[in-house]
Amino acid sequence: MNWRYILSVVGILILFLGLAMIFPLFWGLYYGDQSVIPLLKSMGITIISGFIFFISFRRSKVELIRKREGMAIVAIGWTAAGLFGALPFYLSGGEFGSFVNAFFESVSGFTTTGSSILTDIEAVSRGLLFWRSLIQWLGGMGIIVLSVAILPFLGVGGMQLYKAEVPSPVPDKLKPRIRDTAMILWKVYALISLAELILLMVGGMSFFDSLCHTFTTMPTGGFSPKSASIAHYDSVYFDTIFIFFMLLAGLNFSLHYQFLKGNTLAFWRDPECRVFIGTVLVLMLVVTFNTYGQVYEKIGSAFRYSSFQVMSIITTTGYATADYGQWPAMSQFILLLCMFFGASAGSTGGGMKCLRIMLCFKHCYKELFSLIHPRGVMQIKIGGKPVSDDVMRSVLGFLALYIGLFAFSTVVLSGMGVDLMTSIGAVAATLGNIGPGLGLVGPVNNYAHMPYLGKWLLSWCMLLGRLEIFTVIILIVPEFWRK
Amino acid sequence: MKIVIVGAGEVGFHIASHLAHENKDVVVIDSDADAIRRVSDSIDVQVLNGSGSSPVVLEEAGIKDAEILLAVTNSDETNLVACLVSSIISPSTKKLARVRHADFDDYHDTFRDYAPNIDTLINPEIEVVKTIDRLMSVPGAVDVGEFADGRVKFVGVNIEKGNRLDGVRLSELPIRKGEQRPLIAAVVREEELIIPSGKDRLKAGDLVYFISEEDKLLNTLAVFDKHVEPIRRVLIVGGGRIGFRLATLLDEKPIQTKIIEKDPDRCLFLAEQLNKAVVLSGDGSDQGLLAEENIQDMDVVVTLTDDEETNILASLLAKRMGARKTITQISKFSYFPLLTAIGIEQVVSPRLSAVNSILQHIRRGKVLSAISIKGEQAEVLEAVALETSEIVGKPLKSISLPEGVLVTGIMRKDKVIIPTGESVITPGDRIIIFAGRQAIPKIEKILAVKLEYF
Repeated sequence: MNWRYILSVVGILILFLGLAMIFPLFWGLYYGDQSVIPLLKSMGITIISGFIFFISFRRSKVELIRKREGMAIVAIGWTAAGLFGALPFYLSGGEFGSFVNAFFESVSGFTTTGSSILTDIEAVSRGLLFWRSLIQWLGGMGIIVLSVAILPFLGVGGMQLYKAEVPSPVPDKLKPRIRDTAMILWKVYALISLAELILLMVGGMSFFDSLCHTFTTMPTGGFSPKSASIAHYDSVYFDTIFIFFMLLAGLNFSLHYQFLKGNTLAFWRDPECRVFIGTVLVLMLVVTFNTYGQVYEKIGSAFRYSSFQVMSIITTTGYATADYGQWPAMSQFILLLCMFFGASAGSTGGGMKCLRIMLCFKHCYKELFSLIHPRGVMQIKIGGKPVSDDVMRSVLGFLALYIGLFAFSTVVLSGMGVDLMTSIGAVAATLGNIGPGLGLVGPVNNYAHMPYLGKWLLSWCMLLGRLEIFTVIILIVPEFWRK
Repeated sequence: MKIVIVGAGEVGFHIASHLAHENKDVVVIDSDADAIRRVSDSIDVQVLNGSGSSPVVLEEAGIKDAEILLAVTNSDETNLVACLVSSIISPSTKKLARVRHADFDDYHDTFRDYAPNIDTLINPEIEVVKTIDRLMSVPGAVDVGEFADGRVKFVGVNIEKGNRLDGVRLSELPIRKGEQRPLIAAVVREEELIIPSGKDRLKAGDLVYFISEEDKLLNTLAVFDKHVEPIRRVLIVGGGRIGFRLATLLDEKPIQTKIIEKDPDRCLFLAEQLNKAVVLSGDGSDQGLLAEENIQDMDVVVTLTDDEETNILASLLAKRMGARKTITQISKFSYFPLLTAIGIEQVVSPRLSAVNSILQHIRRGKVLSAISIKGEQAEVLEAVALETSEIVGKPLKSISLPEGVLVTGIMRKDKVIIPTGESVITPGDRIIIFAGRQAIPKIEKILAVKLEYF
């Protein structure tokens, strides 16, 4: 392991993060609120620490980074981002009084989870609210991907970093060079964000709120500057806009790129996209009929709230327009399944990812097939293309680890005295980067009342979920550290 | 510039890694998933698993907007078909294929002008035989490259322990009166490439690269304590394609050649085709056979079997038994750093030759030839100085060349000038530039003209 190099790259990341604090600072100055001093302080600390890291571990020669180092940089980089990103919250005190709360909020931001420890969001200063949204936007497409796009010297190593941060069952490179690929992804991301911003402002939302919401929709984050989340606006127009952009954020970004390049059938031709949209529609209808009559009098409003909630949870955004904690058991359970299902591979969403679930089902079918035809030969395919055994193995390994970690964390959390429903909901919602869970951490509640160690555990779950487990968990495998 | 490479073997891999370092857009195609994984794990290029001769795969690789197709799989047929397919679906793409069978030697032009329209066919084996010939004729050289049609040579020599130059400053190299001091382009010391200045001292163990005119080469080599010893007896181990080519070449010279080949049928073929050479059926690493054939009197032993481990062992054995000089064929690039340590001096590699010839063809600007040295850390380029280029018309010392770049020779008409700070390059001069890998894209920019030449 080349520690000097790893720490110098992490140093650059921290430096960048410090520079990014200038944006909330502008808002703080504009509104003249009390976030200015904490932001200035944290900016200073972050930039100086990043600089010290970078300088003291700098090497004139950029060596080739291997997979291991790539994973270490990404895992350590994200943890560092969580720590330094927490500074503005911590230094401004208030509801963020303890460091664990500030860290939880910050990690929840970067990992685009959207779980909050805030009870009264409107009471928080504008600068901090903006920082909360901005870190989601940065974390959504990936802080490392952004660095790869704008830092030319990461070069070959950039590819290992990219693979560690954007793990996909079947990796696709849009352009021969990783830097161009990263650049395109960010451009597409920024472009769609701009479209959403404009549409929200057209609907009459203020610039600040539109920007904050855009910054949390596109990364499927879910932080809102309003305590009541999207329910605050109670507008069919906004609901529709959010549903649409949550869907876009939950689809593979390389499809957006192909679409923008003129391949209008890109979405239709992609098997994962078809399955994802199909699943979403079916679940929306099921939940609509389940809530119709029991919660909502009119079929129209049942559909409005059900479809929003299904889309919000399955894309792992976590906005709320209704308290689904009051919905019938079946609907609640479907939403819990959505938390596991997750968005498409290559999207900004979390969860297990649609593609992996498809592969898992196909694998099960293959097992059944070989029971019926013991000599039968069957190749698993996605969209007519064979899927190699390596990919299959890593997908099954991922799903097993995901379930295993979910079970483990739930046991630990419930051992801290949290009730069963809340434990299941909290772990599923953080591991899948959704945000609100079930029970006492449902859409109208928050995570402030979680036990101290529980918050650390859930922060760890968020990181695991965002970096798709392997990158983070490999750090605790002893083999990784052996020379 | 987009380049599609068919074949992720040793040649494809190294070309791809070269080009990726120079920020070109590269797509590599191979049907072997493991080879593809090796590429995608270590080089920043796009990869495609599939047959390079398939139109569907080529189309998917984006052949239509690629400027160059390099077909470098191990199979001549695949390479030819890949070029044929691409000339049909994308006629504007330049094509280069590696074709090794000797039967194609005389048809390079035909293949360019007719059906597959392959712009360049390269056969690294021809190049390897040339290199062996050069290595044999230049005493003490570890590496020899040619520029300006052979009038200027680029030579690498080892400074071994006890050499009188050990510890001497470059500016104090002992030369005879009236002669120009040789220009040392680079020194490789402990696997590290150094561009030296006059103040630097040479050390035992250094590998020194210099440029010299052909007729002054022997004098220059004498400066480095390397003296000519005539070559009269050569032993070739391995009678494969390269061995046969070499034996044919030596047949025409006043040199006694012996060739050892394992396969009796192949021996029969060699005996039929060669006139003077003695063909021996046996194993090149068989001590008894080597002793029987008076290995201690051999001037050069060339080991050219397909198996590089055998080559290395046979060379070491021959050296131990008294052969004066050995030349070893090695294809695996990962062995190169080991060679000095185990005592193998001169190495030829068909793959490295292939990489060199291909590089020369994909350089922008009027680059005439390019040779990469020392595990590809640096390249020596020969180029025509165009009127539009920044390096023309000013004394060299007032040109800000990128770091790690040295102009090591200027050829004006028939004259070869070893440049000093005062030298001025005029348009039309052919210049030889030594450049470290990081500097190559910048050098390309300096040399390139608006139009792209192939």
